[in-house]
Amino acid sequence: MEIAKILGEFHGLQKDLIHILHRVQAQFGYIPPEAVAQIAECLKISENEIFGVLTFYKAFSLEPRGQYLVTVCLGTACHVRGGVQIVEEMERKLQVKAGQTTPDKKFTLETVNCLGCCAIGPVVVVNGKYYSHVTLNKVEPIIKEYREAG
Amino acid sequence: MRITINGRQLDVSGKKTILEVARANGIFIPSLCDHSALVPFGGCRLCLVEIKGRKGYPPACSTYAEDGLDVTTESPALQAIRRQVLELILSEHPHACLICAEKKNCDEYKSTIRKVGEVTGCVLCPNNGRCELQDVVEALKIDRVNFPAAYRNFDVRRDDPFFDRNYNLCILCGRCVRICHEVRGVSAISFVFRGSQAVVGTVFGRPLLESGCQFCGACVDVCPTGALTERASRGEALPDEEDETICPLCSIGCGLKASLRGGRIVSFAPTNAEAVNRGQACVKGRFILRDVVYSPKRILKPLVRQNGELHEASWDEALDFVATKLKGYVGKNLGFISSTQVSLEDMHVFDRFTREVLRTDQIISFRNHSPLASFWKELRMNGQPAELNFELDSISTAKVIVLSGADIVVSHPIIWVEVFRAIKNGAKLVVINGKDSSLERHASFHLRVQAGREFSLFNHLTLKLLENNPENPYSRVNGYETWRESLLNEKKAAFARADINEAEVDLAARLLAEGQPTVFLMGPSVVNSAAASANIRALWNLAQVCGGRLIPLAGENNERGAFEIFSRSSDRVLSVEEALFKISRGEYKSLYLAGPLPVPPDAAVEFLVIQDCFMNENVQRADAVLPAATFAECGGTFVNVEGRIRKFKNIIEPLGEARPDWWIICRMAEKMGAAEFGFENAAEILSDLGRTRPFFEPACHRHQGKGKAVFILDEKKGSGQFPSGESPELAPQRAAIHSSPAASARALDYYRSLNLVEESKGLRKLRGLREK
Repeated sequence: MEIAKILGEFHGLQKDLIHILHRVQAQFGYIPPEAVAQIAECLKISENEIFGVLTFYKAFSLEPRGQYLVTVCLGTACHVRGGVQIVEEMERKLQVKAGQTTPDKKFTLETVNCLGCCAIGPVVVVNGKYYSHVTLNKVEPIIKEYREAG
Repeated sequence: MRITINGRQLDVSGKKTILEVARANGIFIPSLCDHSALVPFGGCRLCLVEIKGRKGYPPACSTYAEDGLDVTTESPALQAIRRQVLELILSEHPHACLICAEKKNCDEYKSTIRKVGEVTGCVLCPNNGRCELQDVVEALKIDRVNFPAAYRNFDVRRDDPFFDRNYNLCILCGRCVRICHEVRGVSAISFVFRGSQAVVGTVFGRPLLESGCQFCGACVDVCPTGALTERASRGEALPDEEDETICPLCSIGCGLKASLRGGRIVSFAPTNAEAVNRGQACVKGRFILRDVVYSPKRILKPLVRQNGELHEASWDEALDFVATKLKGYVGKNLGFISSTQVSLEDMHVFDRFTREVLRTDQIISFRNHSPLASFWKELRMNGQPAELNFELDSISTAKVIVLSGADIVVSHPIIWVEVFRAIKNGAKLVVINGKDSSLERHASFHLRVQAGREFSLFNHLTLKLLENNPENPYSRVNGYETWRESLLNEKKAAFARADINEAEVDLAARLLAEGQPTVFLMGPSVVNSAAASANIRALWNLAQVCGGRLIPLAGENNERGAFEIFSRSSDRVLSVEEALFKISRGEYKSLYLAGPLPVPPDAAVEFLVIQDCFMNENVQRADAVLPAATFAECGGTFVNVEGRIRKFKNIIEPLGEARPDWWIICRMAEKMGAAEFGFENAAEILSDLGRTRPFFEPACHRHQGKGKAVFILDEKKGSGQFPSGESPELAPQRAAIHSSPAASARALDYYRSLNLVEESKGLRKLRGLREK
């Protein structure tokens, strides 16, 4: 139903595939299989081709993501300032590996190879909110903020 | 234009890549991803060359020749780059055998039966000896791979019918993905994931059966490695012989290459030699045909019923027995059923035998109603010449294609390939009553009409076209006003009655008015209904008004030949329905089945002879069973859907004591005392046929020009061009016909009496999925 609504905003043009996938990703937190089937029907392309596109881009996920997407930057600048340690601390605190989602579907931990704000590294982003100069001690409070927010 | 390669001056005409020019002139450039049927890809980076005045090393496969180019294909720098690239490719492909110092000795002394799933080296690979990667390694003289080996450790996918997919051997050249997308229009596979994770796969890793795959085998044929291999032949050693034949499983008549080992067929693959199938085939010709020839249901010895039981007999005994019995039925109460899948030679002998010896009705068993015969009959009744010949090639030049009454993806896969080629050239496809198959996403319009009332849709399209063009040239044609009146009268009620969506019809009519040339493809379900003649006339008128070409699609391999021999010049031919009616009234005391006919259990038949390749349900009741040879065991001639003459020779000796159909009938005729049946080979029969039927005259020239298409003569010479909209004698509108559900146009998955769906588990799965 919601997928049909998204598709209704486009005109069935194949060039809009990535836009549509972005909208679905934003809406559901991932690309559900039934969305692939519906997009295929609407754009008149094969499901296999859509799958090729959506597995190519990291922006699209095949698994449902958690409520909060925690992204730790591992770009060169963040890396030399201890980004790796931040990821490890996050993994310990959240009890998941990078790329995974906590069993309560609250947090998804991901790494990224540069966010372009190297001056304020190491950087952690939670659902679009940037945390600068993150240290090991700041990891626990960031997580706590969202745990308590519910 | 003129280019220079390695100092050689070469003349080039047309748009060609450097690689094509080099190959045409015998200059070797290593390459793995390029394929003649595909758009240049530039993926493997092995064909890099140097061009004077250009920076870097452009790939020869995707750089087009331009006047004055000075190309170098061999230099130390190129050699170093190519080796490095190939080593990178090999780092992800099991390469121990490829660089083994003992390779030569191993080839000679160790032969391995390859019954393993995991392939860890060439000796275990089903593609060993015909692998393009091996050729390139040989050419570049690789003896070391300077990168860490990475085995990708994928499970071998064996969950689909017909072929295995081992992506551990895949070099990601993309040929399979591209042929599926560019040529077959299916896109059942795609590159998934990215970078070092990239692999060829389906949506969510589903089996091919659930990804829209038609199992045409095109991917298997273009795979340069052993990643995709036919399962049935993967344990076999390399073939020691190759021979060409023609597929007998549908009316296209694809050219096939048979690989043989020790006189046994190992596999069939499409050939690229002729303009019929151009290296493409379908699931039946590619994967099932071998099992047809070697089916355990083959009848291998003549059988004669004695004291209530069938006993093996020699040919002499069996022929004597049948001939003696048949003499008692000559001229009365005898039905002879002929198949549409036997060769012209067989049919000619059948025809003469029934006329001259049995003096009885000829029954021709079209499994579905033949669109060809119905079309010709209907037009003849209306005094129109029926042009039947066309060239497959011409379909791809159409701008609009209207497909009705056939699921060509299943029934005529090669016609689908041509239609898809047209679509890629910008043509629009209008499908009428499609089956929602995954490929109909390529259709611009999908019109629905109640089955059996197709004529009202055709009529409304015609009416729309005439309305939109008030100055139409047809208004001066005799009977135009009455004809138009009758269409208008029907119109109001018909939209509701036939479930037609008027808005869609308007849009489709506009498309038809704009697009030239237009091709109308007419399949069996249009003619397989009570409204057949109304449907044909309505479609014919529509085609005339559009200035388009109407092509009736013959279903079986020699349907056109059967039509020419039996239907065109004779009125003694009965349909299966008429034959069954006669049987039910007890008019046939004796039946000779050289073709399929479901004999009803309560039929009062005294004497039943079966001449077939395969055991079937009629055998239990037969008095004599005569084993016929398959297409692979006897040479002959088919006339395909285009009217093209397709000659084939025998590629194996007859199995058991099977004999060609013509041989059996000729010997029988001789036993019955008939003269002039002394034929000893197919060629003699063909020249006899050419003498008596002038249409077949072109088929009789023994030395046909290689590669030059030969067609049988048509009423109007088939030029391959679409006729311009000449004024038609408009056929009168017939009074409304009671709607009757049209029998479904089932795919013709038969060879003689063998039901391929029953024989092949894979085909069963494939067809079952489509009909869910």
